[in-house]
Amino acid sequence: MTTTVRKIKKQSNFEITSWKWMRYSAVALLPLVWIHVLIKDVIVGVHNIDTFYVRDIWAIWGWKVYDILLLAFTFAHGVNGLRNVSMDFFHSEKARKIVDWGLIVLWVLVSGIGALAIIAGARPEMLV
Amino acid sequence: MDISLKVFRYNPEAGRTKPAYDTYLLNGVDPTDRILDLLEEVKDYHDGTLSFRRSCAHGVCGSDAMRINGVNRLACKALVQDLNSNSITVEPILGLKVIKDLIVDMKPFFDSYKSVMPFMINDDIPEDGKERLQSIADRERFDDTTKCILCAACTTSCPTFWSDDKYVGPAAIVNAHRFIFDTRDQAAEERLNILNDESGVFRCRTAFNCTEACPREIHVTQAVAEVKQAIVSGVIK
Ligand code: FES
Repeated sequence: MTTTVRKIKKQSNFEITSWKWMRYSAVALLPLVWIHVLIKDVIVGVHNIDTFYVRDIWAIWGWKVYDILLLAFTFAHGVNGLRNVSMDFFHSEKARKIVDWGLIVLWVLVSGIGALAIIAGARPEMLV
Repeated sequence: MDISLKVFRYNPEAGRTKPAYDTYLLNGVDPTDRILDLLEEVKDYHDGTLSFRRSCAHGVCGSDAMRINGVNRLACKALVQDLNSNSITVEPILGLKVIKDLIVDMKPFFDSYKSVMPFMINDDIPEDGKERLQSIADRERFDDTTKCILCAACTTSCPTFWSDDKYVGPAAIVNAHRFIFDTRDQAAEERLNILNDESGVFRCRTAFNCTEACPREIHVTQAVAEVKQAIVSGVIK
């Protein structure tokens, strides 16, 4: 037995985009996080990671991009989750707007600083 | 069997301005008695001021949803033997203002219900001038959500609703689903537009409390997910 399929005009607003974002970013995070964990924790081992290792890894542009993506995706996914939770505590339009903007600024700041650090790379010789 | 029935009491008009619990010891309770029977016994023989809503006493009207040992149930459907305990606590459903004892203000709940336009909208004249025909499969598609009796057990078990009563809630979404997926209705787009805003379906975090709470065994969380899907995909199937 098949049902009738009906189409309606596809709707779009911030809530729909943010809901989709949570799903897509979660899918993107699966390989990003697992490859990261596999390399850093299993293959290399956290005790073998020092500034020299980080310098060598970040000398490769591919890994820079990978780490920036990992940071931006994870943090954006988390911040959007936080936005959803925050609605439980902030009920007025105004308060929600303030929280939303605060979270966006936080996301841009942290992702920006993180990206800058990754692009600048590590210089262990400066520590000695 | 003997049952100790602890009931939430609050009656500002009679000076009971602080919520408190009264405990009644009931003897000779039959395990197949319903919680509603226990409440009736208290009201008839122990304390006539105890207030609660009930009408059909057969799980049809949806007026006696309450928290029984912490779980939302209909007092007229929950049997003493189902609870596996000799001490039973009865409290009003959460998230709605208590007016008196077990009676809560249902207005916000019904306002949300009304907001999704829970009625058939179709301005066309039926082909034969009398009936709007539908295939068996198309009728089957929304059968589950026609079973809602508006008892509010689902909405008042929802954590999102507890923290934000602007959230339209699972019961309203279930009733929107009932019309959105009905091929005879023409206002699906309008309803989905109502449900896609900040207090709409996307506030659902799939806690599944609603599905567990529903005394009619409606797959509430699934219905909410199908409405989300319809909004995101623009396809109703
Ligand atoms: S009294 Fe009608 S549903 Fe329980």
